Amino acid sequence: MYPRPIPENKKLARFGYMAGVSLVLVLWLLPLFAVIMTSFRSFDDVMAGNYWGWPSKFNLVENYVAVFEQTKMTRYFMNSLIITVPSVIMVLVFSTLTGFVLSRYRFRGSMVIFAIFVGGNFLPQQIMMIPIRDLMVSIGLYDTFYALILFHVAFQTGFATLFMRNFIAALPDELFQAARAEGASPWQTLIHIVVPLVRPALAALAILAFTFIWNDYFWALVLTQSDVVKPVTAGLSNLKGEWVSAWNIVSAATIFVAIPPVVMFFLMQKHFISGLTMGAVKG
Amino acid sequence: MTVAAQNPTPTNQTNNKDKIGMKSVELTNVEKHYSGFHALKDINLTIEKGEFIVMVGPSGCGKSTLLKTIAGLETVTSGTLTINGRDVTKEEPGDRGIAMVFQSYALYPHMTVGENMGFGLKMAKRPKAEIDAAVKRAAEILRITEQLDKRPKQLSGGQRQRVAIGRAITRSPEVFLFDEPLSNLDAALRTQMRVELSTLHAELGSTMIYVTHDQVEAMTMASRIVVLNKGAIEQVGSPLELYANPINHFVAGFLGAPRMNFFEGRVVTVSGNRVSVTVEGLPELQFADIADVKLSVGDKVMVGVRPERFKTGEQTGDASFEAKIRLIEHLGRETILHVDGGPVVTTGSDTGTQNITVQLGDVVAFSNGQSVKVSFDLSDAYLFGPDGKTITPAKAATRT
Repeated sequence: MYPRPIPENKKLARFGYMAGVSLVLVLWLLPLFAVIMTSFRSFDDVMAGNYWGWPSKFNLVENYVAVFEQTKMTRYFMNSLIITVPSVIMVLVFSTLTGFVLSRYRFRGSMVIFAIFVGGNFLPQQIMMIPIRDLMVSIGLYDTFYALILFHVAFQTGFATLFMRNFIAALPDELFQAARAEGASPWQTLIHIVVPLVRPALAALAILAFTFIWNDYFWALVLTQSDVVKPVTAGLSNLKGEWVSAWNIVSAATIFVAIPPVVMFFLMQKHFISGLTMGAVKG
Repeated sequence: MTVAAQNPTPTNQTNNKDKIGMKSVELTNVEKHYSGFHALKDINLTIEKGEFIVMVGPSGCGKSTLLKTIAGLETVTSGTLTINGRDVTKEEPGDRGIAMVFQSYALYPHMTVGENMGFGLKMAKRPKAEIDAAVKRAAEILRITEQLDKRPKQLSGGQRQRVAIGRAITRSPEVFLFDEPLSNLDAALRTQMRVELSTLHAELGSTMIYVTHDQVEAMTMASRIVVLNKGAIEQVGSPLELYANPINHFVAGFLGAPRMNFFEGRVVTVSGNRVSVTVEGLPELQFADIADVKLSVGDKVMVGVRPERFKTGEQTGDASFEAKIRLIEHLGRETILHVDGGPVVTTGSDTGTQNITVQLGDVVAFSNGQSVKVSFDLSDAYLFGPDGKTITPAKAATRT
């Protein structure tokens, strides 16, 4: 089956290994655990500084109801969906198109175009803060959904193109030759051959792009201002301002905000099918 | 048979009988350069309707490139290609009226067998009833009707190759192109599929062009064999014709397994149409009836004898030598001896044995290390000139 990094007969080494893994896991999950616990606490507990102890009272329902009743989280949540979903769809569509062309067609300048897509990823995003903000202001998109959608699509497509190009390039050549010999146009080949076979890649990419765009805080701060446009990340920090010490409510809102990427993962999981091209070539 | 919808030329309407002797595929001065590499050199070939053409040659000889050029998957640098009298040099593969079967099957893994077979027609936006009928017909011909709802990965190699062939049949192409379709199958299945493909060819009557490196496939299936070497056509002809009368040293060495034995020799006398050649380890060989002798004394020549033309023991031919058996291969129906002594075999570029190969049509009670007298008739020997061309007169393709 799997290679065993530590032989079964080395009892001490195995014990140390298990202990180490457990320790790292606990350390890693501790903040999350604290946030979850805080979202259960009452305001009094938070005020009394009881962050790690047993909650004096479980305010689970109250806290989560408060998130919707007393804050603008519902609005922020909708804003995030309005920004993220179209962005992810556009990233997937564009990167499939660019990936297909860059991996399957040879034309003058194809390597340069590919290099630009990849190279763009190496630019630190922060150095583009002022230019992008000025650009959005001058084209009249500042503080609109379009500003964030446009930026995320433009920026995510670079990495996504690299990902899709390599995935499509790994598909067997003969499939494309067969499709061409049978008279399929490039569009037909893309829709009937490529897309069904790159489903696992599209699912992985969808999760990556969704998580990145959903969790983005930096560009939300730079490109939005008003509550009607702000996504959840920027909204959460607003919450902090309005409810200076209501960490129980902030924690509940945080957990609520963290749900969509998790849901996304489970939605996409069924598309992770290995060996999709099995049976295509040879045996 | 070959009523392909995508070809509007009137030749389609004619029936099968009128097609005999009609040109199906014609290549004229076809050249192909890859970045700096001359892949195809001045290819001229006319293929008639209903022919089964097999293209053979060593790896890298350009046979697959030539096939892909006919398919349209590769472009030509210069020259023209016509299919059914229509110039298709610049046409897309899908418009040429061809169908291709790949060595690796190239089935679409996410589609069922039926969807795979109907894909080409679906892309051409044919009505569903027509697609279903074509798929059903092809499936019946290939006896894969029960597999139509399965996926390629549920099939065995032989079944997959049948599906790939079925996919080609469904489109009723003018020309079938096969790129080493059987080389991924095991030996028994290969023999079976060979027979099935020949039967299929007889049933459909379509033109088929088949690339292989397997001599047996070439010899058994072809109506004509095209031998390619380094991007150029060496010789075209029926299998037995090529076997009996190879035009040069290359074709002689390429066709036939075990391979022809070649001995290096030197011309000692030339008189009229007679040439005497000495080969180390053999008596002087006198070749007669040589038309248009261009040899002169001292020229280096090559003498070739097919393994099955050697005789051993009591039977003696025109030239004989004593040899020692190094290895015996008993194949049941025949025996192959690798013998040392007498003349030295040159292997040419091919890495082969230095021993002489003798093929006997019997089970023979020889043992390793034994001495044996080997001989052959001069009428069975080939003489190749310094340029590799065959000099000896043509031999009958079939013998009694």
